[in-house]
Amino acid sequence: MSGILVVTEHRHGEVSAITNEVIGAGLSMKKKVGGPLMVLVISDCPNTYANSLSYEGVDEIILARVGSDYFDSKIYGEVVLGEAQAHQPELILLGHTVNGMAFGPALATQLGGGFASDVFEIDCLEGEIVATRAIYEGKAFVEVSFPGACVTVMMLRAATFPAPEEMAQVSLSQSSLDLSEISADTNHIKYIEPPSAGIDIAKSEFIMSIGRGIQDEEHVSRFAVLADRMGATLGCSRPIADAAWLPKAHQVGLTGKVAASCNLYIALGISGAVQHLHGMKHVDTIIAVNTDANAPIFNVATYGVNMDIFELAEALERQFN
Amino acid sequence: MITRELFWNLNASAITLFYVIGISAILVFVAGCLRHISKYRRGRPLLDKPDYWQGLRNLVKDLATHRTLRRRDRWAGIAHGGIFFGFLGGAIGTAIITLEYDILYPAFGLRFWNGDFYLIFSLILDLGGAAILFGVLFMMWRRAALKLMKLDYLRSYCGELDLRPSAKAWKREDWFFMIFLLAVVVSGFTEEAVRLYVDQPEWAHWSPVGWLLAQILDSMELSVETATSIRSVNWWLHGVAGLGFTAAIPWYKAKHIISSTGSLLVRDSRALSRLPMEEGDGQLGVNSIDQFNWKELLHLDACTKCGRCHEVCPARTIGSPLSPRDLILDLREHNDACQTRPDRLVSLTQGVINPETIWACRTCGACKEICPVGIEHPTLIVKMRRHLVEQGETDPMIQSVLETISNTGNSFGESARKRGHWTRELEFPIKDIRKQAADVLWFVGDYASYDPRNQKVSQTVARLLRAAKMDFGLLYEDEKTAGNDVRRIGEEGLFESLVEHNSDAMSGVKFSSILTTDPHSFNTLKNEYPQFQETAPVEHYSAVLRDLLASGRLKVVKRLGRKVTFHDPCHLGRLNGEYDAPRAVLRAIGCEIIEMPRNRDNSFCCGAGGGRIWLPDTPGKEKPSENRINEAATLDIDVFVTCCPKDLTMFEDARKTAGHEDHFEVADLAELVAEAVALDSLDLGAVPEVIERLTDAIATKVADALVDKIAESISARLEGMELATSPQALPPSEEKNPRQSVKADGVSVAWQAVPLQALKIPDYERPEKPGVRILVAIKHVGKLGEEFEISPDNLSVPDEYKDFLLNEFDDNALEQALLMAEAIDGAEVVAVTIGPEEAEVTLRKVMAKGADRGIRIWNENLEGADSMTLARILAGVSEQENPDLILTGVQSGDIANSATGTALAGILGLPHSAVIVGTEWDGSDRMTVTRELEGGLQEVFEMSAKSVLTVQVGANTPRFASMRMIKQAKKKPLIVIEEVEVPKTSTGMQVRRVYVPPQTRAQMIEGSADEVATKIGQIIRANSGA
Repeated sequence: MSGILVVTEHRHGEVSAITNEVIGAGLSMKKKVGGPLMVLVISDCPNTYANSLSYEGVDEIILARVGSDYFDSKIYGEVVLGEAQAHQPELILLGHTVNGMAFGPALATQLGGGFASDVFEIDCLEGEIVATRAIYEGKAFVEVSFPGACVTVMMLRAATFPAPEEMAQVSLSQSSLDLSEISADTNHIKYIEPPSAGIDIAKSEFIMSIGRGIQDEEHVSRFAVLADRMGATLGCSRPIADAAWLPKAHQVGLTGKVAASCNLYIALGISGAVQHLHGMKHVDTIIAVNTDANAPIFNVATYGVNMDIFELAEALERQFN
Repeated sequence: MITRELFWNLNASAITLFYVIGISAILVFVAGCLRHISKYRRGRPLLDKPDYWQGLRNLVKDLATHRTLRRRDRWAGIAHGGIFFGFLGGAIGTAIITLEYDILYPAFGLRFWNGDFYLIFSLILDLGGAAILFGVLFMMWRRAALKLMKLDYLRSYCGELDLRPSAKAWKREDWFFMIFLLAVVVSGFTEEAVRLYVDQPEWAHWSPVGWLLAQILDSMELSVETATSIRSVNWWLHGVAGLGFTAAIPWYKAKHIISSTGSLLVRDSRALSRLPMEEGDGQLGVNSIDQFNWKELLHLDACTKCGRCHEVCPARTIGSPLSPRDLILDLREHNDACQTRPDRLVSLTQGVINPETIWACRTCGACKEICPVGIEHPTLIVKMRRHLVEQGETDPMIQSVLETISNTGNSFGESARKRGHWTRELEFPIKDIRKQAADVLWFVGDYASYDPRNQKVSQTVARLLRAAKMDFGLLYEDEKTAGNDVRRIGEEGLFESLVEHNSDAMSGVKFSSILTTDPHSFNTLKNEYPQFQETAPVEHYSAVLRDLLASGRLKVVKRLGRKVTFHDPCHLGRLNGEYDAPRAVLRAIGCEIIEMPRNRDNSFCCGAGGGRIWLPDTPGKEKPSENRINEAATLDIDVFVTCCPKDLTMFEDARKTAGHEDHFEVADLAELVAEAVALDSLDLGAVPEVIERLTDAIATKVADALVDKIAESISARLEGMELATSPQALPPSEEKNPRQSVKADGVSVAWQAVPLQALKIPDYERPEKPGVRILVAIKHVGKLGEEFEISPDNLSVPDEYKDFLLNEFDDNALEQALLMAEAIDGAEVVAVTIGPEEAEVTLRKVMAKGADRGIRIWNENLEGADSMTLARILAGVSEQENPDLILTGVQSGDIANSATGTALAGILGLPHSAVIVGTEWDGSDRMTVTRELEGGLQEVFEMSAKSVLTVQVGANTPRFASMRMIKQAKKKPLIVIEEVEVPKTSTGMQVRRVYVPPQTRAQMIEGSADEVATKIGQIIRANSGA
């Protein structure tokens, strides 16, 4: 047998975005790997998710009805293991997410095959499945393969693979496993929503930071509004927080917060002191705007703009109206 | 005979009464003194005996000149001089009378208190009385009318609105003291006046004040009878006032007559520049008041509340909760309370001194410098800090800086290899002093090495030295931060380990003196390193530049003619007395120095000292650096000159934030010198000197000869090694594998699940399970610096490019384990790591933080093992340990698989969850766990306690392991296991290629604002996946 098995992730009754991306990645690999692309849904009511998973190219949606809609690492591990044994896929794809981390590696130990996590590129080279992932905080990339593995569990990085667009009619099948045998390890108690008013630089994925270039406290609110419109968290450099123009929680850098989860960072009027770079230089995409063409920030930025930030802010305000 | 009758008009019983009062007064005085002495004796003994002779000489000089009292408050000093010398005269006079009347005459019939001696005696005491009168009246006026800030006890700097009761008592005490003194003097003069009026001796004018008063009585036509009765009554008033004053001395403010003198006698002018070593009794730092030494307790009593320290303190100035005066007074009050009530002895940070107060200090030494009675405030603060650091009760930011320094040797968290990178922009190489001897070892310091602005200054200094043909070299990556500020934060253990490292680095090197850029390094190398090891003479570059200019080795070609002001760095000026060298340099290059009002020993700290450079100041308030720069802005200057890297950083910032960018520039001394000697026009890249060429030639020859041999031995070694030298690079399968490889067409044959099993770990010695046992898996991870290369086989990154440290996630896992263990009686935390011997540093650190035992597993087959193999080994350890809970970090900071913990659970068949941020567990079968989901959402759930959890970074604040705790943890058991059957193959994954992702300087987006905005919009949308 061969094929690809995608494990669906869902929360609050909706399929998570990552699952669409994983299906997208699976579809791009389908021809190279061969065999069907199967999507597994584990829930107390798996049918409800079927429609939004019915992408063109998906061969089968397997519905596993279990006792609860909440994620449980044991149930996921055992159901996926059971389905894997039943369908014998060559590739099992899931998201490199909190849920993925909670069962993917354990699943791999039960299969004894290949395993790679946080994969952002996947391909078939010389007949081998090759995954690319980052090591040393993204300073180096590594290509890995899985010789001798009949099955490989792969956890894919979010916001990397394009989700498919075309929907289609996909056949549904009920899991053939005896699911009544599987009991959960965990009992869900509650979800705690993150505080909406506060900000958390460490957890923000998109940050727009302001530095001394904004010149005066009165300009802060303008940039706060702009950040809001762009959907960014407002960050700042040390002088801005020191001057109390923004609360300390906004500060990015050695003495502030590290933009740990950030993947897009816009630095407006920040020259790039080491202190500040410490908190953001690792970010994947950095756009730096500064009037000083030699500002150190341009050494770490992906994109640079040599322009007055107020002039650019006006244009951005028109852009994000 | 020219004299006076001592007990005029008194009968025998009155004289007896007087003696009874007198002796009682002396007894009360002595009792008071003994009481204080017993208080000081509660303190620790001194480690270093003070040099009492030198102390005495200084004491006499200081008291005779009243130097310390006249400083920066001339009139108060003069007034105090009046009181002091008047009082001294009175005391000596009384002693002389007692000597004659009570000893020499009764014993030998000797009398000398008459004739000319009596006349001079009368004159001196009369003038002395006048001096006291003037002094006291001046002090009273000063207190009542001037409303001096330094004499105000209201703690407005920390938001106090009303005087606290103790401060009210201090105020009463101050006035009582002055009034008491006044009463003694006024009654004395009254007695003198009526005596002279009644007796009318012909030598009356030898007591000019008394005589003048007698003349006034005369003009008032006072009757002799009235005068006589005043004389009788006032005699007793004066006598009792005098004796009462004496008796009361040890019991209130007047005690400073003794305590301040004692304090000056034992003062140590280098107390701050050379901090005391760890006490010998094993107790580090000061937790309760009796842990200060007796000298420090004496210092507390010496304070006269003059407020000079209160006035100059930069922390107090910017509204930080620290006034050196109030700190001393609070400690004193507590010490007095504890003397009578030992039950009040508490940890000082529990209600006596706020920790914020302790951390507010910048150890600039301004308080100690100006204290007229020799109190060494910063030493007390550092000692209290030492205790807090030891207890891990520091600001988290300080903790992280200390961790960074302990991991990388610098506060920037940069790789040690980058320390010398600033030299790359030079036109000439700087000697590596480890390989080539040089006259001067240049100890550059952190800021001058890593901070971009200061790197430019370092380059300028290097060029100047080169232009002056100085023979100098660097330690490059073997230099670590000198530790001046680490010591002042109170991390004595880390300081000692830095001293050890730097001393070792310098010990094998040939040089005759040390040059420093940073006055902080200058101070500790010069004053503190010799506490541990002999060191070469140390010079600051300002003194070197002065000498080079004076000797003509640097020639001024352009006198700058600029108006400059110079900021004295605390560590150069106050701590080491060097005020002149930088000024001499400025004059030599033709600058006009315009001094700031606070200059030289009164220099105002930039706010960066004592580790405060690593802590932010209260937002919204004026910072010390801004306060200073505003002071400079009142002058007509072109340049604000510093000669300290930290100053340059602070003042460059302050000039911008305080809005003086257009007024003047901030520059380093060396930059001005460079301009004056036209450094730009000098050819520095000239041919290396003959000696360098010679050594280079020899080195090349030696290297050539060695190359073959080395190559030989390397290849011999390589042959003996297994292929597995790179992370995750594993040799082809050797084990019999039930699965067949995937074929080129992508179709696999013989699909079969083969669950992984735990790898057997041989039994090892371990204690009986004490109850609950938590196993924590930790990893010694390698962090890559900015510059590295991939191994020639393209399969790994060599370790030489990595700085190793405890995986951050595991630090949180450990902390979570410790917190959980602390909540359960008798719980044990066992740390396990898989790593080579080098990883033991990290394991020790984890044990210092609180893990009870450590296990390290390693053999060479484990080099580059994947998560699955690591999990199998950990499973083997778990089978031996049978823990009740296993924790590990979500991922490792290097390879970041996020797999080991969950895989371990899979092998053991244990319940598990990942990305945990909270746990609640009482040791029973079930626990409540919180995990963090994407977007900050959290899920709370309940699960079996016997499980494997992976802990998220930030779940808690990991505790700090001080260097001392790390040393102590060496006593904890650490087991090393090397006999592990590691399969040579792993199906997990095989590395095909490691490469550096394409990295370039920013791709510039050109075009109009709207075009740029459009492009940015596209990037944002592409990124959000919309």
